Amino acid sequence: MRIASKAYKALIDLLAIIAGAMLVWLMVAIVLTVALRNLGLQPSAWFFVSTEYAMFYLTLLGAPWLVREKGHVYIELFTATLPKSFLNIHSRAVSLFCVVVCLVLAWKGYDLVMQNLSRNDYDVRAYFVPKWILTIVFPFCFFLMATEFLKFVVGKDILHSGEAGIKE
Amino acid sequence: EERITAVHAFNTSLIYTRSFLEFVDKVNERGEGVIEIDVRGGPEVIGLSEQPDAVRNGIVDMAYTAASFYGGTVPERDIMVASNANAIYARESGGIDLLNQIHQDKMGVYYLGWFDSGVSYNLYTVDEPTIGDDGRLSVDGLKLRSNPVYDAFFRDYLGAEPISLPTTDVYAALERNVVNATGWTEIGLADLNWDRFLNYRIEPSFFSTDMGVIINLDSWNALSDEAKAILQEVAIEHERDSALTLAEDAKTQRAEMIDNGMQIVDLQGDVRDQFSESAREATWNRMRGLMERHPMGLEHYDSLVEMFNEL
Amino acid sequence: MMEWYFALGFLLSLIVLFMGIGTPIALAFLAANVIGSWYFMGGQNGIIQLLNNGFGSLSKFSLVPIPLFLLMGELFFRSGLGMKMFNAIDQLMGKVPGRLSYVTVVGGTAFSTLSGSSMGSTALMGSLLVPEMTKRGYKKHMSIGPILGTGGLAIIIPPSALAVLLGTLAKIDIAQLLIAGIIPGLILALFYIITIWVRTRLDPDAAPVYELEPVPFLAKIKLVLTDIIPMVGVMVIIVMMMLSGLATPSESAAFGALGVIILGFVYRKMSWGVFTQSVSGALKVTLMAYLIVFGSATFSQLLAFSGASSGLIEWATSYDLAPIYMLLAMFGVLLLLGTFMEQISIMMLTVPFFFPLAETLGFDLIWFGIIILLALEISFTTPPFGLLLFVMKGVAPAGTSMREIYTAAIPYILCSMLLVALMIIYPPIATWLPGMIN
Ligand code: NA
Ligand code: NA
Repeated sequence: MRIASKAYKALIDLLAIIAGAMLVWLMVAIVLTVALRNLGLQPSAWFFVSTEYAMFYLTLLGAPWLVREKGHVYIELFTATLPKSFLNIHSRAVSLFCVVVCLVLAWKGYDLVMQNLSRNDYDVRAYFVPKWILTIVFPFCFFLMATEFLKFVVGKDILHSGEAGIKE
Repeated sequence: EERITAVHAFNTSLIYTRSFLEFVDKVNERGEGVIEIDVRGGPEVIGLSEQPDAVRNGIVDMAYTAASFYGGTVPERDIMVASNANAIYARESGGIDLLNQIHQDKMGVYYLGWFDSGVSYNLYTVDEPTIGDDGRLSVDGLKLRSNPVYDAFFRDYLGAEPISLPTTDVYAALERNVVNATGWTEIGLADLNWDRFLNYRIEPSFFSTDMGVIINLDSWNALSDEAKAILQEVAIEHERDSALTLAEDAKTQRAEMIDNGMQIVDLQGDVRDQFSESAREATWNRMRGLMERHPMGLEHYDSLVEMFNEL
Repeated sequence: MMEWYFALGFLLSLIVLFMGIGTPIALAFLAANVIGSWYFMGGQNGIIQLLNNGFGSLSKFSLVPIPLFLLMGELFFRSGLGMKMFNAIDQLMGKVPGRLSYVTVVGGTAFSTLSGSSMGSTALMGSLLVPEMTKRGYKKHMSIGPILGTGGLAIIIPPSALAVLLGTLAKIDIAQLLIAGIIPGLILALFYIITIWVRTRLDPDAAPVYELEPVPFLAKIKLVLTDIIPMVGVMVIIVMMMLSGLATPSESAAFGALGVIILGFVYRKMSWGVFTQSVSGALKVTLMAYLIVFGSATFSQLLAFSGASSGLIEWATSYDLAPIYMLLAMFGVLLLLGTFMEQISIMMLTVPFFFPLAETLGFDLIWFGIIILLALEISFTTPPFGLLLFVMKGVAPAGTSMREIYTAAIPYILCSMLLVALMIIYPPIATWLPGMIN
């Protein structure tokens, strides 16, 4: 059990590290493209396409980590007025709501991947890329987001601080 | 009265969208009491690359879109891109009917019509293009902005690696000389204000646009025979009208461009023929390569080439 | 299909409810999208379409500057280069109350000439300046307010991708529209400076006047040479790259980040730890902002698809009122849509209705274009849902509340409103410069 939970935590970290590497790639790819272009060479269109894909991938791959880090912003006008005991219940209910939303998206994301596979769909840009390679992150990452939100439903810690301005 | 919902790929300021909206008006007029097309909007409603899937999944019934956006699903669409004829010809030859059948088999959509056909593309440049000793266009110093439609041609024939840029960045990129050449259709360059920076137009023009109307097959089958007849009839009329109108527009806009200082660089002799031919061949090669990956294979390849080209 | 006002009411109530109970913003949008697309797009396929649309709105090159500007800001801040520069400015400007707030406006305005992206600009300025100013005892509104204000300037002052798009959609002269934005942009920056001055007068504690040792002249020169010129140099190099055509505005952000990394090595302040911390910090805010973009872009499409937004536009422009009231009606529609929708979608929706109408009302279209851009800019920072407010929340120091950000934004929104009023009273503010150049 402990090994499983460690492995799970490492997985979330790993995904965040990949997302961070993609962020750095945005810089590298653009600097290379501009440099090559101004040297009179013809830089591969892959540089450009990869930055567009990287933004999509990094958003989803990093999303579960962001939940764990409580990096999402929310409006605390209402939650700040709740008494501690009630906030505890309310915050867990909101987290549960998030779990449900993520699970629905993970489920439909799975359907989307299956559809892409059975229809043999491509994303058409400068190159033809099989669509499932991109959409596969939907079911995977939304599911992990759901499990991260679930920790705020049943765990010790809750999502909201209840104190306007003293959160994070 | 039956209703079908529709989206269009581009915003309403483009000439192609206006052409589609004319088609819609004609249908709604002639189909009064029978069929109505309810236009939900353009890319602000569903992104342009997502529209074909939206039709397939029945989110909307109809889309006016470039077949290039679903080129992975129906690679045969390249036959329109490489065509040296137009929809009037391809309708009579039975080409569009065959293409419609392929759309139904591969994608589950009904191909109603190939609109705005016969409009082809030109390469426009900021600086005077260099023609090599062999009479061919030289790629040296060319910073070419790309588009998936003509990527294959520019790569294979010119040996250029095109620069991808979002359309909104092209104006600034041309202004600052980040790119100094771009492809665009014969018409509509002034709509984008790009003519302010582009000074040379290389001829001959190449390719054809592949804009058309697809309808979800279930939605199509659910329509009454009368509604189907009106839709198809008006679409065939609009195929003809739009091809003729835009051919006129292409002439007038070419003259306007020249009046406004655009210089025409005409490739000569063998090179000229080679330019057009390699544009076509690069596209056919791509089409063949993609078709081979599908279970249907190259079944219709030869008939398509025949039906879509005046050879 | 529902009447447009039911659709609008339904979708807006969902989002207001979800955000109100404290659902993370991105999730509130996603939840509203799930329900809305289920209802309007026909069940389960609607949700699949929602995911497709989300993919489309995230995989766009126009979003690239945001993470790169964030990375640049983080590197600048975490390497300590930022601190060095602000210390230097502090010492040079002596006892001027609220001096860093002025620096914010001047720097932000200069930065707007570099960036066409409000979100990128706000992200950079916010991550760079707010922590430094808070450390020096500035009240939050003195740092957050001017940054939100100047973040919006990015779309008025050229280059501006949004202005180019508006010009294309409305078929008005793009060059003239870009030039027309310069004077209103500068006036707005001036209003911001006046606002800061008034606030330091009313509340001297807002920006503490602390005693500084007088700095000898030679030391000042040295400060400028070692601590200010190199950092400003990075900015200048980026602007030069852009102006000379070496890179596009979106690409130039990458060179900002690279420039700071190089400076960090030159000053021996760059380490693996600084680098990874900066990437992690930039990633966190990027994720937060992009998940909101994912949600809000698809929410915009849903508002459009359901007919809610076009219904609103047609209704508001259907009355036959005096030109000034028609203008206000259009302005109001833009503010309302801008609260929930993404700017490009708003333009695509409204331009086909508004520009022909403006023409029949006899408006100067360039002037009208600037008013539209101002409305979009204002709606970007309008509480409670303006997107820039959330970006600011993401980059501001821990402990900054949404309420503080709201109150900080209001005076600067009023500045923009005042500018619009002035432009209505005296149109040459926008029309004079492009007229001169023609
Ligand atoms: Na403002
Ligand atoms: Na700008």
